[in-house]
Parts: sequence; structure tokens; C-alpha cells
Amino acid sequence: MPGDERSGPGGGDVTDPTSDRSRERFEDVDWETIDADGRRVSTTQLLALVAGGLYALALAYDVLLAAGDPTVEVVVAESRFLWDATGVDWLFVATLLVLGFAAVPLARNRRLTAYYWQRFRRHRLAVLSLVYLVVIFLLGTVGTLFIDPPTLHVAAGYQPPVFLSVDVSIPTQCLGPVVDGRCQGTWRYPLGTTGSGKGLLALAIFGMRVSLQVGLIATLISVTVATAVGATAAYAGGWVDEVLMRYVDVQQTFPTFFLFLFLAYLYGGSLFVLIVIFGLTGWGGIARIVRSEALQRREETYVQAAQSAGASGASVVWRHIVPNVSNSIVTAATLNVPVLILSEAALSFIGLGDVMLPSWGQTIAAGRGDLATAWWISTIPGLFLFATILAFNFLGDALRDALDPRQEVGR
Amino acid sequence: MGLKWYTARRVAWAGVVAFVILTVTFVLLEHAPDAQLARVQFQAAASGRSAEAAAEAYARRRGLQGPLWERYLEYLGNLASGDWGWSDSRSQPVVTAILTALPYSLLYTIPAVLLSTVLGIGIGLYSAFNQYTKTDYAATFVAFFGVSIPNFWFGIVLLLVFAVRLGWVPVLFDAELARTRPLSLANARQLALPVFVLATSAIASTMRYARAEALEYVRAAFVKTARAKGASDWRIITRHVLRPTLVPLSTILVGDLLGVILSASYLVEVVFGIPGLGRLSLDAIRRQDTALVLGTTLVPVFVAVVGNLLQDLAYGWLDPRIDYGDR
Repeated sequence: MPGDERSGPGGGDVTDPTSDRSRERFEDVDWETIDADGRRVSTTQLLALVAGGLYALALAYDVLLAAGDPTVEVVVAESRFLWDATGVDWLFVATLLVLGFAAVPLARNRRLTAYYWQRFRRHRLAVLSLVYLVVIFLLGTVGTLFIDPPTLHVAAGYQPPVFLSVDVSIPTQCLGPVVDGRCQGTWRYPLGTTGSGKGLLALAIFGMRVSLQVGLIATLISVTVATAVGATAAYAGGWVDEVLMRYVDVQQTFPTFFLFLFLAYLYGGSLFVLIVIFGLTGWGGIARIVRSEALQRREETYVQAAQSAGASGASVVWRHIVPNVSNSIVTAATLNVPVLILSEAALSFIGLGDVMLPSWGQTIAAGRGDLATAWWISTIPGLFLFATILAFNFLGDALRDALDPRQEVGR
Repeated sequence: MGLKWYTARRVAWAGVVAFVILTVTFVLLEHAPDAQLARVQFQAAASGRSAEAAAEAYARRRGLQGPLWERYLEYLGNLASGDWGWSDSRSQPVVTAILTALPYSLLYTIPAVLLSTVLGIGIGLYSAFNQYTKTDYAATFVAFFGVSIPNFWFGIVLLLVFAVRLGWVPVLFDAELARTRPLSLANARQLALPVFVLATSAIASTMRYARAEALEYVRAAFVKTARAKGASDWRIITRHVLRPTLVPLSTILVGDLLGVILSASYLVEVVFGIPGLGRLSLDAIRRQDTALVLGTTLVPVFVAVVGNLLQDLAYGWLDPRIDYGDR
């Protein structure tokens, strides 16, 4: 492992009687300063505190003061910038903050990051997927703030995508040039429009936000619960382990899709509820992975060292076990995201989601009736959905390879 | 501990799981907002009658009166004795509705399971014997494709190409044809796309598992011995690699395949208009028919419970190395 060549205070020379007497010995270590060092708040912690505080303030402002009004309203010259943050938006911002701070150790340990990147880079498809996902992420988060949401425009219904043409009888009113009785697509709607005249490009971009929100927020909830349960079960052992893992067994027996379906039917399918359902019931698989990894870590010498130094159970789990199973957690989380995106799309496809939401599944369902005339309505959002899920799967597979060398089979 | 004790414990555990799941569903149903009740109350209030009286009458009609535990026992008893309630939207018992829909689901799931299992194991073995060749990479890509493609969208695209554009298969599923002549060519034609869509999503995991399991044996000492003795490739594959591979595979398959097939078939039926279980469940959801929603949700749950049980038992019977003391 990189970093091993760094020797601690005293190093291995303390036991060597012939070593230089002036070297720092155990008795000479100023434990006061080391303790003070440990207690001092690091820059990262300070930043996290500031970010958390700002977040809480903004949330309080939105809930208490701006109750019904838009949260942010900036008027610059002619254009107005409006953003009425919803509950899901707040969760999403919190998720992005947590993800940002979770990446801090990577930024600090450059050599480790470079090592992982070198292993990851071997998978060309995964690198490509990463680029695609970054684009989707930027469009879905930053882009949606500056693009007008898709609006009804009945006169512009059934416009074909640009460079393509359909019989002039199909669009409500052809906005592009008509050549030989065929309506051609215009750059105003590069990917065409739905029957109610919503631009498919805008729908696709807003769909990215929905999918990312579902995938990332629910996965973060799942990972939090799964890590707590899995690590606790492994570290505590005995009846705690038995109870927790038997519960996971029961939860895993219930087919995930039907669990989501049943709960969404009973409690309504708003995006917020859907995310909570996904997050609170979909963590069983990750918990099993965390537990099996943590069982191995528990036997390591550094855990025994921490225990004999008097560390509490919670502190051993949080400071020694969780960081050392984080590679498996990252991989499992990456592979959990596409499952959730697919589930959300499936539920909104069958009409259990929020009908007003520009989700990909919703748009696919809306275009089903026009398959014979306007094929692009159902197929284009599906392409984005497919590409996103595929990209996450490639990414997860490459991450497993890069982060977890033990899993290499036959290489 | 012996095999008998292990079997008894697994069966008892399946019973416990079923019981816990039923209890949880009961609690969920109790706490969920009742859309029908709200409608009844709203109608009563709108026509000038007392909303409370209407709610009471509604509760009496649905058997929602009495203490909680009494209703709970009745709920368990009814489910156990096969009385799964009355479907308001279809005006028939839930069990009858499910039994009518089930054959349509089996009509395409059984071929899809057979196809994906045989092809999945076949391709997986081939990949293991030709690791890191072009074919192996192609197979891996197909597996990723199968896992990633949203099957409802895949169904729509296939319908668009093969039914709308090419006209090779009918756009609408003809239930009458499937019922009267299930073995006719016309029926096979209308089932081709659903079977294909379902098989692509199921084949991926089978293929990956088969490849990973077979890889353990491809370079095993006993396979080398067999090769040295001059055994043919075919004999090595079928006798020396496939047989040990089948043990873990058969157990993985039951649980994993079930999950994929159950959820995929739901959406496939919606896309292709097959009047099977998934379609029945969706109609129930749209019409707020809670009894039927519960029934159609519990069928896959029980299938999963039994599937998991069979998986554990198969493991115990097939693999003598298993440690019975584990659970």
C-alpha cells in the first residue's frame, strides 16, 4: 500500500538499544500536543460545518419565510431567474454536498487516486461512460436551472427531429420547411416534440434531473442505512447480527419491484415518496456486502490495536471498519444507482409516478399510442435511459476492478 | 446436524418469512390512506349526508370493524384458507381473477425461462473456455446489454420495428387465439417478441454466473487429467465442467431468475397487452381495487418465498460440502 514507508513517531528503532540516544523515545513524545492536534478542527471539518450551517439556514428560510414564493428570484436586465426549490431539490443539494465531502480523502491522497485512476483507465468503455455521465450530470443539475422547462404548445405537436421528415399530415402544424409533402424537423425542436408540443430535448434534459435525483438521493439513503446495519451486525456479532441479518433476509425475499409497486400504490407516487421508498427498502443487498467485508476487517490487527487502546465500539466501526470497507461500498452504490433509475422509469411508465413530472418513463408511456405515426416520442427518452443505465453498469464494473483487486477472477 | 434437520429448519424459516411479510402488508394496508373511503365520504358530503355515517357504512361493508387483532387474525385466516377477498373492479373473487390470468403469463414465461437458461449456460460455458477472445467480449457485452436495457422500452422498439414497420408479428395480442389454440403457429408468432424480451433480461445474469462458475473448473487439475487422458472437448465440457458448475448455478438461478422474470413479465405484459398477472395488477392499481392489488402482489411474493426455500434445499441436497450449522 502506498504510504507504508512513512514511519510513525519512534519508528522501529525504539527497541534497538544501539540506536542514537537522542532519537525521540516513547517517553519523550509530547502527548499533550498530539492530543491537541487530534482535537483541533481540520479545514475540511470546518468547511463541512460551514456548508451544513448555510444549508440549514437556507432550508429554514425556504420553509419559514419563503413558504409559498420562489426560493430564489434574481432579475438581471430582461431575464428573470426563478427557482422554487422543492423537498426533493433540498434532498438533492444535501446529497451533492455529502458526495462532495466524501471525495475529500481522494483529493488529499493524490498517489492513491492516481493508482486507482490508472487501474480504472484500462476500461475504455468505463472512461467513456464516465464522460457521458458527467455531461448528463451537468446538464441535469446546472443545465436545468437555465433552460426553460418543457411547456405545452399544442400547435407544435408531433414535430419530427431535425434532419428527419414525416408525412405532412402527421404534425399538428409543420414548423419546419415542407418538401415534397413531407414535414422536416427544425432546430427549434432538435429532437422533435410530443403530441402536446413539448420539446423532447427539454424533456430529456429535465428527465436527467429526475433520474439523477432518484438514483443519487435514494442510493445515499440506502448506503447510509446499509453501512450502519452491515457494520454493526459484523462488529457486534451474536444476537444483534442474527436479528439484523434475518431482517435483511425477509426484506430481500420480497421481490424489490413489487415492494416498490405496492408501496407506491398505497402511499402515492410523488417523487419525494418514491425516493424515500427506494432509499428505505432497497438497502438489503448492500448491507450483506458491507457485513461480509466488515467481518474480515474485524479480525485485522489495527482493530485489535484500537480496541486495546480503549476505543469504543462506535468509534472502531466509524474510524476503522467503515473506511476500510468503503471500496466495496462505492462499488455496490454505483451498481445500485441504475437499478433505482430503472425502477423509477418503470413505475412512471405504468403510471404510478407523478404525472406532472418530466420523467423519462413518463414520456415513453406518453408516446406509446403514437408509435405508428410519431415513433420518436417513445424511442428518444428510452435511448437516454438505456445509455445512462449502461454507463452506470460499466462504471460500477470498472470500479470493482480498480478498487477491489481481490475480486479479480482469473486475470 | 444432518440434512433432515437442515431441511426442517429451512421450511420453518420460509413459514416465518411468509408470516412476517403478511403481517407487514397488513400493517401497511392499515396505515395507508384509503382512496375509496375518501371518495365515499366526499360523495356523502357532496349530496348533503353525513360523511361519518357513510364512512361507518363503508367500514361495515368491507369488514373493517372490530378490534385490530381480530381483523388481523381474520386477514391471516382468509389468506391461508384461499379466500383472498372480492375484486370490486372485476366483480369476481380475487383468486378466480388470478387463476384466469395466470395461464397467459405462463404461456410466455416458461419458454423464456427455458430459452434463457439453456442459452445462458451454453454461452457462459463457451465464454469460460474461450476467455478473453473476441467472442467472450461479445458475450460480456450482450450480458451488459441485457441487464441495462429497460425491457418495457425494448419491447416498444421491437414492436415498432417488427410489428409496425415490417408487419412480421401482430401489434395486438389476441387472447382468444392464445386460449383456443395455444400450440398454433399464429400464437407462437404473437408470443415471439414477449419471449425474446423476457429472455434477454434473464439471460444476462445466467450467462455471467455460468461463466464465473465454469472458470473455476476450466483450469482444475481433474480437467487437465481428463484432457491428458485424451477426453474429447465435448466430454470435458459436459462431464467435467458442466456437472460441478450446475450445483451452485442451480441454486443461484432459482432466486435470481425469479426476481428478473417476475418484475420483467409485469412490464412486458403491459407493453404487449397480454392479459396475464401483470396486466391484471396494473388494472387493479388504476381502478384502486386494493384487494386485487394485494392478491397480485402476494403471488410473486409467495413464489419468491418458495423459490428461496427450494434454492436452500437444493443447495443442501446437491452440495455435500455445505455446513448445516450455519443457519
